[in-house]
Amino acid sequence: MSLKLESQMNKKIYICGMHSGQNPSAGVGIARSIRKAFPNLPIVGVDYWQGSSGLHDESVDEVLIFPQWKQIDRTRHLAQIRKILDDGNLWISALDVEVYWLAQNFGGHPNLLVPSGSALKMTAKPNVEAFTSLGFKVPENISAFLSDVEVHSFLRQIGWQCWLKGPYHDAKRISSWEVFEKARENMQKEWKTSHLFLQRHKIGNEESICFAAYHGELVSAVHMEKRLITPEGKTWAGHVTPVSPELLDGLKTVLRRLEWSGGGEIEYTRDPDGTKWIIECNPRFPAWIYGSALVGLNLPGRLVARALNLPIIETKSLYPFFTRVVQEVVAKEAIGIPMPPDPSLTPWPAGGQKGKAGPMQSSLIPPLRETMELRTLDSIDEEREAIAVRIPEHVPAPYSAEIDMVTESFDGETPTRIHLHSWTMSRFQELLDGIKPTKMFSPEIRIGYSIKTCPTTEHISKAQKSGFYMECISQLEIERALNSGAQPNQIILNGPGKFWPLTRPPVTGLHMLFADSIEELNRVLEIPNIAECIGIRICLPKLQSRFGVHVDEYEPFQELIASIKKIKGKAKLGLHFHMPSWIIGVNRWKDAFQSVLTWCEAIEQLTHVPIEHLDLGGGFYPTDLVGLNFRWIQEMVKMSLPRVDGIYFEPGRSLTQEGEIVVSRVLSVRRDTDKKVSEIVVDACVAELPLIQSYSHRIFFRPAANEGPTSEFRVLEKGAAKILGRVCMESDILSAGMKLPEDISIGDKIIFADAGAYERSMSYAFGRG
Amino acid sequence: MLLDAVNSIAKQNIGPERYYDRWLEHPTSSILHHDRECCDQARLWFLAYARSMEGWSSSQFRLNAPTWLSQHFNWGPSIWPISWCELVKEKTIDCGVFAALAREIFTAQGHDVHAGQCLLSYNDTCTNHWKQLWKTKMPKREDQRPGEVFHWVGDRVVYHEVCIIEMPGEEARIYDSTFGGWYEPLERVGFGALLSVRSECPRILKWGNKLLSCGEWVDL
Ligand SMILES: [Zn+2]
Repeated sequence: MSLKLESQMNKKIYICGMHSGQNPSAGVGIARSIRKAFPNLPIVGVDYWQGSSGLHDESVDEVLIFPQWKQIDRTRHLAQIRKILDDGNLWISALDVEVYWLAQNFGGHPNLLVPSGSALKMTAKPNVEAFTSLGFKVPENISAFLSDVEVHSFLRQIGWQCWLKGPYHDAKRISSWEVFEKARENMQKEWKTSHLFLQRHKIGNEESICFAAYHGELVSAVHMEKRLITPEGKTWAGHVTPVSPELLDGLKTVLRRLEWSGGGEIEYTRDPDGTKWIIECNPRFPAWIYGSALVGLNLPGRLVARALNLPIIETKSLYPFFTRVVQEVVAKEAIGIPMPPDPSLTPWPAGGQKGKAGPMQSSLIPPLRETMELRTLDSIDEEREAIAVRIPEHVPAPYSAEIDMVTESFDGETPTRIHLHSWTMSRFQELLDGIKPTKMFSPEIRIGYSIKTCPTTEHISKAQKSGFYMECISQLEIERALNSGAQPNQIILNGPGKFWPLTRPPVTGLHMLFADSIEELNRVLEIPNIAECIGIRICLPKLQSRFGVHVDEYEPFQELIASIKKIKGKAKLGLHFHMPSWIIGVNRWKDAFQSVLTWCEAIEQLTHVPIEHLDLGGGFYPTDLVGLNFRWIQEMVKMSLPRVDGIYFEPGRSLTQEGEIVVSRVLSVRRDTDKKVSEIVVDACVAELPLIQSYSHRIFFRPAANEGPTSEFRVLEKGAAKILGRVCMESDILSAGMKLPEDISIGDKIIFADAGAYERSMSYAFGRG
Repeated sequence: MLLDAVNSIAKQNIGPERYYDRWLEHPTSSILHHDRECCDQARLWFLAYARSMEGWSSSQFRLNAPTWLSQHFNWGPSIWPISWCELVKEKTIDCGVFAALAREIFTAQGHDVHAGQCLLSYNDTCTNHWKQLWKTKMPKREDQRPGEVFHWVGDRVVYHEVCIIEMPGEEARIYDSTFGGWYEPLERVGFGALLSVRSECPRILKWGNKLLSCGEWVDL
């Protein structure tokens, strides 16, 4: 061995982030890889926690345990790391947060194998700009702190399949508005940042490109397909292959531009069509990296070889797959195992988590984020990429203007509900305008106004004037419609309790009646002249609902076919499908609609009874119904079911939800230690706003007296102050966080918009003495 | 000649198998239709059900494999031959029925799909269990004669049915409809390794560095 080589072999490799648990750091993998390439090179395991289990691994020669991050003197810490590097040793970090801290505080050093601050910016989530030139696409995303209306619209359009992500590695699945609000609040608290964003989930298999570069020079790269994944999304087994020459060339260029140093990983999803959707870029080696070294692509080994100018020999495995194995090792006495926590420190886990009698695991292993200080990068704030999802205007000017007008001189008792006449009329008109272009095509698009959503005389008569049918769910609602001037042949009767109350004979001669079960269908067929069209509501497989005939089992389908055959000659056949797009999202609704057509075709073929009326129900969010492509729906129906004469929609909420507001007054203002407004109590509550937590509401502010420049009527933006309701219920929280004027005071008005429809019809009297 | 090729691979890696000849000559499975309403109804119900089970978010992709089948049915011995009206009442079906159902679904989605067969290697512990499972759980038909049961399990090799999907550019993709995964054109020996495959696509298809021509057993 030459003298130079020998001196290089005395250099130590410091590897920070050695915990090997269910969410392992990469340190052990890096150490094992380097040990495999250079059995004699001394390896120092570094961490900020004694319990970091990988320090006990046999690949580690020496251990350097720092105190918890909060206890560290930063200047001293920087000086110590500098001394290590100046002595010719290498430092590889496997901790995201340490990488960010070093990038921002250290400046470059030839022996520091960590990317720079600007490189981190270019590879930050969600857009990971640096790699878009390599053919990666970015899934649609928006900031989680846009207005509720925008976020709700985004989530509906992507069918509630979405991730809430923070600037580092945290990600939560979002499936409903309630889940989103809770997750956003928790994540904001946990990471002390509002740099959170929502990103569309992409179906596909997870893969990654891992690379190592030395001051801008690509040393090596490898491609890995995940084969087994833990519930936390961690790789448990994988298939390792070389990176294609084209990608390697592209990567070379990008990393040179970024002057990248150290390891890195591009995680992405490959969808079934082969499109690569980038998930994130990790500024370090991944925890599975030793798997790659085992099959003959040793990235940490090659990186060290390049940095220390050492020769490296590798042998390729014929079967390029690896898997992780859980293994017990004898703990090193010199490191020790942490003391058990006092049992009294153990909280009772909420939410029925699994476990044994002992303390929760999370209380034993502190997450790294608690031991490190967080610094955010500005790039998250930068312009988001144009997204394909259409976000409606948050507060249209006429809407705000009408609320301003009706509340300006209001001095009555609060809370109170006020109807927005002009806006409501404009909703009806917009729908009429929306279906107007379809009039010259068949089948005809017809509207049934859902009385239950908002049974006021004003709404019913407007619906009638617009030429809408009346959609009723009980004999009482039919009576209400008839009293408002409707004829029986303008009535559509739906629901599980349509003959309530039984004390009066059912109204006959209806336009359409949709049975909710096969039993009801058989019964209805015995009532002479009950309706021109008799139909059945079906519930599609996979869509949870208590309504309609469930066709996910074969026997009910057989019975359905037998019953439908009996309709022939008695009435026209109709079919009803209702699944609120509000709940399942617009795109999923469209898919369900196409699936309904398949069922209809099967029913027609088997019964030889043509379907003449197709009712697609309601449940549309206000902006979603008018956004539907009615022409496409007409064409699809015409193609599958040529005998259909009318396609029905039954809007209620989409016409009326926005058309009412609840005006409340501030009862109390609470401030934090910095004298900032932290909470207010208003005189409205969940009784007037029973659905406040199930969908997004726009909230307005109007001061008691119209004076001062900051105190004018306006819509409130998202912020940190809570709006609490007046009743003594834990759940009476009307907003988890709004930006309130600092001079807000008792008597000022808080106005909740979007409070019509069910928010009105389901409200109740509570706490009124 | 072809028989020799497969036998030689087996001899090298696995050992002799007594049912080879039968496997290599075995026709692919299909589902019986009574040409009456019973089967019409069952088949249309199944296809509508399958359309509803398609993932809405994956329906945008070129290939939307019916992975839900493996959650809907158990794998195990089922009566043979099986008709549509019998099938919809079953909870357990064998790989031939899985493949036939998956072909119906791929066809309804507009794909060119063909029957495929393969030979897979397993150890004798597995094969002994499977032999026992088939022996004890095979539903008996009244009209069935002894010796009619197809011996798909060998000592260390088993017979299996799959779907061959024709992709643009004469490429093949091989879908395991029983377990809901895609085979890779990789040579491997050992547990679960694909040894040989036979396509019924009338055109020659490329699969990795192999060429699959109609009716021929191709070794990996
Ligand atoms: Zn039959």
